[in-house]
Amino acid sequence: MKKASELKYGEKVKISEIDFSHPSSQRIIEIGFTPGQEIELINRSLFNDPLAFSVRGSLIAMRKDEADCIKVT
Amino acid sequence: MNLQTIEKVPLVTLVGPLNSGKTTLFNYLSGKSFKTVNYPGATVEYSISRLLNKFNISANIIDSPGIVSLSANSPDEKISIDALFNHPLYGQPDLLVVTVDSSQLSRHLLLVKQLKSCGFKLIIALTMNDLLIKKKFAISLSKLRIILGCEVVQVDGRTGEGINNLLNTISDQLDKIKLPDGKSEIIQLINNDRHSLLNFYKEIEKIENDVIYEIHSNGNGFDLNAANAQLNVLNPSYEIKTKYTLDSTSLKIDKFLLHPTLGGVFFFLIMAATFTSIFWLADPLMGMVDVFFAFLSSETAALLGSNWFSDFVSSGIISGTGSVLVFLPQILILFLILGLLEDSGYLARGAMIVDKPLSKIGLNGRSFVPMLSGFACAIPAMLAARTIPNRRERILTIFILPLMSCSARLPVYALLIAFLIPSGKSWLGGIILAAIYIFSVTSSIIIASILNKFKHRIIKEEDNSSFIIELPAYRKPKLSFVLTNSYMNAKVYLQKAGPVILAFSIILWFLTYFPNTNPEIDTTGLSEDEIVQVQEVERLSTSYASDLGKLIQPVMTPIGMDWRVGVSLIAAFAAREVFVSSLALIFKVTDNEETFQASMIQSMRQAEIKDTGQKLFTTATITGLIIFFVFALQCLSTVAVSKKETGGWRIPVMQVIIFTSVAYLLTFITVNGLRAVGVN
Repeated sequence: MKKASELKYGEKVKISEIDFSHPSSQRIIEIGFTPGQEIELINRSLFNDPLAFSVRGSLIAMRKDEADCIKVT
Repeated sequence: MNLQTIEKVPLVTLVGPLNSGKTTLFNYLSGKSFKTVNYPGATVEYSISRLLNKFNISANIIDSPGIVSLSANSPDEKISIDALFNHPLYGQPDLLVVTVDSSQLSRHLLLVKQLKSCGFKLIIALTMNDLLIKKKFAISLSKLRIILGCEVVQVDGRTGEGINNLLNTISDQLDKIKLPDGKSEIIQLINNDRHSLLNFYKEIEKIENDVIYEIHSNGNGFDLNAANAQLNVLNPSYEIKTKYTLDSTSLKIDKFLLHPTLGGVFFFLIMAATFTSIFWLADPLMGMVDVFFAFLSSETAALLGSNWFSDFVSSGIISGTGSVLVFLPQILILFLILGLLEDSGYLARGAMIVDKPLSKIGLNGRSFVPMLSGFACAIPAMLAARTIPNRRERILTIFILPLMSCSARLPVYALLIAFLIPSGKSWLGGIILAAIYIFSVTSSIIIASILNKFKHRIIKEEDNSSFIIELPAYRKPKLSFVLTNSYMNAKVYLQKAGPVILAFSIILWFLTYFPNTNPEIDTTGLSEDEIVQVQEVERLSTSYASDLGKLIQPVMTPIGMDWRVGVSLIAAFAAREVFVSSLALIFKVTDNEETFQASMIQSMRQAEIKDTGQKLFTTATITGLIIFFVFALQCLSTVAVSKKETGGWRIPVMQVIIFTSVAYLLTFITVNGLRAVGVN
């Protein structure tokens, strides 16, 4: 399964699952990343990390290793 | 009279997610202009206000740091959540006003759902309605009211629209609470595991579909409400898609500012522009303040004649405080630029850009805002570090904050730089100041990375390092907010630093003037001006300050300085800028000169070390002093706040010992190194 950290610019995908074992997963869900939501990679920072995704009409930045726990299809 | 008639003033707490317009609303309600915060989590301290004063409602209103949910991720969130259930001073709130960004309804309703399930009495304040309209959508307030089972009011904290409606609702709800069964019991949130969160979101998505409707392109949304509801049934997915669009202007700006490589260049340019403008913009204003105080001092001295009282007022009070107030323009401009960056929405992006490099040295992207505020003052900066979730990263950030070149150092640097540069080359001053800033940032990076090597000894526990941050849409900063904000900050700065500076000026004046107030000198063959000068030198060298200074002479000699600088350095531990007023007193800067700075530099150039006859202030010793001020932790308030924020004496004691010994050692190396290569 693909992870959100592997997305390319402009690729719109749906979240299929959040990996609950990641310590940041609680905050990731709280901030709006839930299964079924569409996300898109909008920006990459210097050195390609952190990444900024659009979700529910907001722009959220997170580290690459945190984006790993968002599984997409 | 029975006790029941004596009522406690009801408490209204303003709560809401980050960037939901909460602080803007609070500013409006309180009538005071506090910060409007665009950077997530910058409201680190409570602001409280009586609604009574402005709106004739007997209630207190508290602002609190923004929270995402009821489970805390960082100390500032924990403070905010704990206060909701039981505020340390005011107890449990009677009513919550929850701000919800209309254009972020789906994310912001999570907190509302959680608060409802705890049993809180709520009023929803829907903000940023204009953003939703821009996306051609609107919210049905009546439906939302029914579904959530609480009052919903649309407000705009920037224009004040809908505020009266909100106040009436608050007043009505407070009346209801007074009824016998009006109070409800508050329970801690039980369901806050990941599965319940997903369930909350499922419910929210349903609510959202029910209450948000599309405005037709002719803008007459209400008539078409029914038609749209039908459309919604026919084609639900269409609506969801367009509702979740990002702000198109922000997307365009971010193409540059958050570009993987260009973003770094822009970041550097923005920071460089910030710090150079502090110097350039302030220059003409500083000249004006300088001339004013010089005039005031010499006029006072002339008016009061030649006696101890005249000297006390003109040197002790006016010259002492004036020499520091000269730097107020620089401090104001620094606050102004910080405010502009904050209000525009760039700060969160800056944090994102520096997260990777900072995490390499054990810090976090969220250290960026504390570090930047550290250039104004380390104290609010340490409070801002509460937004860093990871304890080790937070402590390390607090540790290096005293190295950020705070505004209290500006007066010192400005004086020392003015001494270094030849007259007529003031442009050089900006370059040297920039170099000092770069040097202090570089040093803090080096020290942070060294400390990071010993991180397991500094903080033992392990926790998850995380950087998740919302990047708000760019907004044109509202100048009036930013201006009031920097005015307030400068006022707080003056209130805090002013008395200290004044007190130390007076103490130092006393120490330098007594006990030998009328020294006997050989006046033969001297002009009147010379008599005054010789008298002053004699008075100072037999003063209490001199006695005190002789104790520290052994420490000062290795770094090429004498007791006079030593006394000033000790005085600077109260507040760094006192160094300047102290030198001004010791080197008797009073009248007959055009400006303070010019006359001060004049007397500094003439100062000699008594035993050796060497010049006291040379390029070498001045450079050494600059190095000393870059590193030394000479601020008692910083030490106190560091103790409070790190929860013990360990960190502040380490900071004082490490920074002050590094400062002394490097000053020693600089002064003697420069002398060895022939620079005096």
